Amino acid sequence: MATADPIGVLTGAHFIDGDHACSEGAIAAGCRFVAGYPITPSTEVVERIAERFPFVGGVFIQMEDEIASSIAIQGAAWAGKKTMTVTSGPGFSLMMEHIGLAAMTETPLVLVDVQRAGPSTGLPTMPAQGDMMQARWGSHGDYGIIALCPNSPQECFDLTIKAFNLAEQYRVPVLFMMDECVGHMIERVVIPSADKIEVTPRRMHTGSKEEYLAFAPKADLVPDMVKAGDGYHMHVTGLTHDEKGYPNMTVGTQARLVRRLVDKIKLNAEKIVDYREDGVEGADIVVVTYGITSRTALPAIEQARSEGLKVGHLRLVVAWPFPEKRIRELSSKVKAFVVPELNFGQMTLEVERCAAGRANTVCVPHAGGTVHNPKDIYEAIRDSVKGAK
Amino acid sequence: MSEPTPTKKARGSVVIMAERCKGCGFCVEFCPTDALDLSSQYNAKGYHPPVLARKDNCTGCDICGMVCPDFAIYGFIKKPTKGH
Ligand code: SF4
Ligand code: SF4
Repeated sequence: MATADPIGVLTGAHFIDGDHACSEGAIAAGCRFVAGYPITPSTEVVERIAERFPFVGGVFIQMEDEIASSIAIQGAAWAGKKTMTVTSGPGFSLMMEHIGLAAMTETPLVLVDVQRAGPSTGLPTMPAQGDMMQARWGSHGDYGIIALCPNSPQECFDLTIKAFNLAEQYRVPVLFMMDECVGHMIERVVIPSADKIEVTPRRMHTGSKEEYLAFAPKADLVPDMVKAGDGYHMHVTGLTHDEKGYPNMTVGTQARLVRRLVDKIKLNAEKIVDYREDGVEGADIVVVTYGITSRTALPAIEQARSEGLKVGHLRLVVAWPFPEKRIRELSSKVKAFVVPELNFGQMTLEVERCAAGRANTVCVPHAGGTVHNPKDIYEAIRDSVKGAK
Repeated sequence: MSEPTPTKKARGSVVIMAERCKGCGFCVEFCPTDALDLSSQYNAKGYHPPVLARKDNCTGCDICGMVCPDFAIYGFIKKPTKGH
């Protein structure tokens, strides 16, 4: 495993917000091209990138809009760069088509969405978690996707690196689903020395130019890449393509290609999923959280425990792929899942699907704009067992 | 990857719109049967457009059309003639 280039690593302890930590994570991970259209509450990410990039040999372009941003980074990715764009709700909606293009052309990139309350322009400066299903299903057609949910500035640093590593390993767009609270929260962030930061290099094809097949998968269903300008014959298209990359619009090619795009995440899901558990074994109730709600749920969980309830906490670090296997296992052991979200029930649907009626699933909805009152989560925990089998 | 075998009789041909060409040479580089060259002629913009230099090689696969950034060339498969 390769380690980070020291030029981009600001080793030491910092007191910065989640947006700035995300920028540092990207630079440490080797990102050297960012195109973006600043939008609250994600603006600080690109501000810091614009300030830092000249010193690390990176290029930042402020584009005319989010559509241009999400396509410019794909050109840069095929030119061999690690790339990222950064946005929030309305911009995220505009980028949907290009998420599909990146999925179809297997272009590694990171797309940061610092979630704010919607729909539409909504509450630009206030938090929500309403883009979680959009992250999974936002672009048309079928494809596999990866989405991460940090819950602190430290994780904004650590998980941005992880996001780049996953993007390179699986050649997918990786969605970094922050929220306004985590983005603007200022905390201690410790950046380790470069030799302690693992960085996944691009999977490059090294064989002969004649035998290169741009989209011929390896054993893990992911093909190796080449860089434009290295003299390989390649053709990259959003049309259904064969292993050479040329359009081949037949039912058979479509079935092979799209199945692989779905399977490369589905069949590797157990390697990608990441969640943190606390007191889940032997619990009657498991609170499933992600992002900022994992922190607002803590006082509620503590209060319920102090009253003798057996409450576990499962926090999604990777939201997509969803930890189906684990939730299925737990659903036959626990009485209820409680899912607080800054939306009206998005990841709740996944928990409910995996629980398949074996355990109660209770959503603690919130329209966004602020965080939950822990009291609401506590009451949901307390009441969840009442209705349970 | 085996190269398609050029046939004696050309199976395909190309249409070149020389005035659209910017002389990038993609079509020449990507043609699997090496049918194209850049011509020594200039277009009005001063670029060398492609020319079907080895017309018996052309299979009409239209890879030149696919890679041309400026829609200045496309390949087509010739209709089989009687007695073919
Ligand atoms: S149609 Fe195919 S074979 Fe003919 S010139 Fe174009 S690329 Fe070459
Ligand atoms: S690819 Fe198109 S623009 Fe480039 S040389 Fe050929 S015809 Fe001209």
